[in-house]
Amino acid sequence: MSVAAGGGSESAVNPKMTAGIGIVGGLIGVYLTPFHPVLGPLLASLGAVCAIIWGADAIARVASYGLGTGVPSIGYMSVAVGVVGVLAGLACGVMLGNVFLGPILGVILSAIIGAVIAILGKKIVGMKIPVLLTGTMELTAASAISVIGFSAAIAGGIGMAPIVSSVVATGFIALLFIMNTMAIQHPFNACLGPQENRVRTLKLAASTGFISMAIVGILGGLFTAKGAVIAIIGAIAWFITIKMFLKASKEEAASVAWSGMWPKEEEL
Amino acid sequence: MMDPLLMIGAVTVAGVLIGGGVHFLPVGGAPAAIATATGVGTGTAMLAAGSAMTGLITAAAMTGSPLWLILAAGAVGSMLMIGITMLVGNWVYVWGVGTVPASAKVETDPLTKYNQEKYVTPGTEGHGIPTVCYVSGIIGGLLGGVGGGLAYWAMYESLIGITSFATPLKYVGVELVPAAMIAGIFALGLFFVNAVIASYNIGGTIEGFHDPKFKRIPKGALACLIASLATGIVGVLIMNGGAF
Repeated sequence: MSVAAGGGSESAVNPKMTAGIGIVGGLIGVYLTPFHPVLGPLLASLGAVCAIIWGADAIARVASYGLGTGVPSIGYMSVAVGVVGVLAGLACGVMLGNVFLGPILGVILSAIIGAVIAILGKKIVGMKIPVLLTGTMELTAASAISVIGFSAAIAGGIGMAPIVSSVVATGFIALLFIMNTMAIQHPFNACLGPQENRVRTLKLAASTGFISMAIVGILGGLFTAKGAVIAIIGAIAWFITIKMFLKASKEEAASVAWSGMWPKEEEL
Repeated sequence: MMDPLLMIGAVTVAGVLIGGGVHFLPVGGAPAAIATATGVGTGTAMLAAGSAMTGLITAAAMTGSPLWLILAAGAVGSMLMIGITMLVGNWVYVWGVGTVPASAKVETDPLTKYNQEKYVTPGTEGHGIPTVCYVSGIIGGLLGGVGGGLAYWAMYESLIGITSFATPLKYVGVELVPAAMIAGIFALGLFFVNAVIASYNIGGTIEGFHDPKFKRIPKGALACLIASLATGIVGVLIMNGGAF
């Protein structure tokens, strides 16, 4: 069923680099949230975008083997695990008396559930994807960071109380669930195929991440300084990245790749 | 407050019901989208999203009622949604694409005894949603809806006894109960996890209980049981976050 089934081809992007961007960038962004009322949430949402780029690269590495279920399914599953893991991690932070432990515990719990699912997939269901375990763990961790990053940006804090009252109780968490899934799974789902170029896929991942960030800014209150800054910076960055992606797509389109760009009218 | 072990047990049972229910759905995937295979032309995640969310809304509407009523409401919501999806899909296959609903996996429909072979276009694996697939899909909706309702009920009952989750919040004039939303998103997450594991087990596409792939259901149920157990154990931790 999957047209992506080829698997394991050399990627143009080093997986360690995207993982580094996702983990370091994501967690720094999340942890800086409480220190400034406007810049903190902005950094948290930028951290979530970093995590989305990491997630998009991880999904591309796993799904290039052909899951048989389509690319979106593993994206939905990972973000579902991320949401449950983040809520449990934040609650653990409350239980242990230190809110700063919440986000990292959420990421760890998500990766653990992801590992359990991947092991079940390999041992019981009998899936033959060599990178399933690491890929699913990376994907669930990236999903968790993206959910906590956007939640922190809307709530303006990383504790259980602000996130439950302004993200979960308001129902925004359901929107984040679908939106982060789309942002993570869409890039590879749109770009897969024999000529998939990971750099181009990740350009699309950056654009889906930034447009999600613009929406998060609106959710955080468009008429407050915090929400407006996130929405405007997200929209500008989306515009830049989607232009980069469109340019890359045109350059790599078959006719252009074979014969070069056609000459401008005055050069004829 | 609900006993955490009871909550984990309920979530595990819910996960098995959801995962089992997915095996009954006529998931056609990409081949069905171009009418070359029987079933609804989309993946499990999409079908699960539609029916799970409808089921959760109807189950949540019964919040505070006895357990059987919540489960029944969830089941009816999911069955309605999957039924409407299959019905409208069939309209498209019959009047849009111009194919006869027929399955290539069986010679005659096990329920209506109608001949299938004659109506299957050569080179395809069937098209549309024949009676047996429709009935199977409704059974899948029933199991999934009961599972989703059970997971919602277990989480809601665990959280509603904790003051900070039970106190309604005001947001643009609407009263919101955090416990209900956390239970809803938790049940939705559980639904997706089990739907995708079941989908891995069936290799993406299945027609229903008459499909040879249906025999894989014990493996799928076992995988869903373990995954739901893990999710339930992590979910119990959420209860400890009420001390803020």
